[in-house]
Amino acid sequence: MKRLLGAAMVCAVLLPASVRAQGVQFTVGGVAAQEIVQSHVDQVNDRFTGLVLGGEGALMSDRFVVRLRYSEGHINPKAGSSAEARDVVEGEAAFGFHATPWLTLWAGPSARAYTMGTTDQRWLIWTGRAAARGTLLPGRMQTFVEVWGAVSGNVGSPSLKAGGRGANGGLELRIGQESPFWGRLGYRIESTHAEGLRETVESVTLSFIYGFPQ
Amino acid sequence: MNRLLAAGLTASVLLVPVAVRAQSTNALLDQGVRAYAVREYDGGAWLLRRALSVEGPGALSPVDAARALLYLTAIEVARNQRDSALSAARRLVVLDPRFKLEESFPPGVVAVLQEARRTAPSVSIRASGDTAIRPGTDAFIVRLGASTSPEVTATVTGADGRVVRNLFTGTIRDSINVRWDGLDASGNPPPAGRYSILVTPTARERRNSGGGTPWTLRLPIELARPTVDTTPLPPEPPDSLFRPERGDSKGAIHALVPGIVAGAAIVLLPKVVASGEHASGARLIVGGTVTIAGIAAFLSHHPGQRLPGNTQYNRNLRETWKRNVAEISRRNADRLRQSRMIIRPGAPSLVTGDTP
Repeated sequence: MKRLLGAAMVCAVLLPASVRAQGVQFTVGGVAAQEIVQSHVDQVNDRFTGLVLGGEGALMSDRFVVRLRYSEGHINPKAGSSAEARDVVEGEAAFGFHATPWLTLWAGPSARAYTMGTTDQRWLIWTGRAAARGTLLPGRMQTFVEVWGAVSGNVGSPSLKAGGRGANGGLELRIGQESPFWGRLGYRIESTHAEGLRETVESVTLSFIYGFPQ
Repeated sequence: MNRLLAAGLTASVLLVPVAVRAQSTNALLDQGVRAYAVREYDGGAWLLRRALSVEGPGALSPVDAARALLYLTAIEVARNQRDSALSAARRLVVLDPRFKLEESFPPGVVAVLQEARRTAPSVSIRASGDTAIRPGTDAFIVRLGASTSPEVTATVTGADGRVVRNLFTGTIRDSINVRWDGLDASGNPPPAGRYSILVTPTARERRNSGGGTPWTLRLPIELARPTVDTTPLPPEPPDSLFRPERGDSKGAIHALVPGIVAGAAIVLLPKVVASGEHASGARLIVGGTVTIAGIAAFLSHHPGQRLPGNTQYNRNLRETWKRNVAEISRRNADRLRQSRMIIRPGAPSLVTGDTP
């Protein structure tokens, strides 16, 4: 985690001049998410909650955008449950195309890994996404909604075919006039499934972003 | 020999008008006089009228104009065009009321001149030569003379017939000096160009004279101004500088719709994505926040409302611009007033109801 934050800091310091010179914008930011995970294994249902922290970055040109997200944390079972607590690591890489000024189409992999004691469970889902943006106050406040569906995926070992879908939406607000810093309040829900497994992840995210998000 | 000269003159009239146009008015006058001498009356009349028609710097001097009118009178008598002859003779009398025949002309010409002297309006107009004045300070003076005390109006008139300034209305007893300070009726110097000082009988004078032939005495004048360094007027403020005076309803709707749609979508997402799950209340917090933000953005546009602050701002912007324009216009006008205007009078002419 410290390495990730270090890399983000280096990017924030070194990237601006070189990236802007090529007509490309970028954003970097940190994310904090309160997650609620509902896990269904066969007929056993468990519910976990916990805090996940991470970072994200994006490079944008007029037509294309590349986005990376990473976060990790620890989620605990609901009180009274016999389930083990889990460490969570999530990652996502997506390549986007600005179809219209307000609509971006994305594709890319999304991965999540749970570590429970000595065992782990790894989900890898290839997704297709569509994200819409709307301006509430130009240059100051905007909304976004993004939905995705699984193109293909697998989970665990032995590998099982997996699928799923998800969505997120929220509000982005510039922090101060003419400031390069933005805050984001988001709600995310994802439901992934495989034979005998279903994981539903809900989260409320707070992000702090440097750059103009698109 | 005479035939050769006549043929040459005819050719010059018919075949080379362009070249003739380029000649000086004095050359045209000389050729017109020679044409009369060789009895080439048509060509002579054309040459003399052409010489008399030139105004401005290339115009004939008053002495030469009188000579041209005398020969034009003689030519028209010779062509049996008595009305045209009488008109030319009247112009001659107006131009120089004291004109005396010093050359020998046929009796018919003398008779026409005598009739013109008897019937032409007894008004004359004279101006000294080129005059430089400071508009509003100095004056350009023309002398009006009359032997019958007519009541007249004198005006400065533009080339388009528009009256620039009334100079005088009243009775001319023997003679008077009419002064023009170089300003138009609104107190500004008129732009450079060609103007006329027109003297016409008043309506009462026309009634008193028994409705005789109407006449207008015209003194062409040319106004020239040396270039004056004036400041260009500032352009009107562009629309982009003005603020909306009413709230922007369209912009407000554009702000509201994404907020409402996104808020509703967030609330409904669990139904779409994970229909079998029990979704937490987090979506309501986020979806409600987005919706409230959309409503706040909608209200921030003040849809349809008057915005007094913006109205006052726009009024100040317009008034500042008007003040600047007025101030620069005043300074420019002062500069124009302080610069000299050159007035070049031409040969006066008389236009009567029977002028051909």
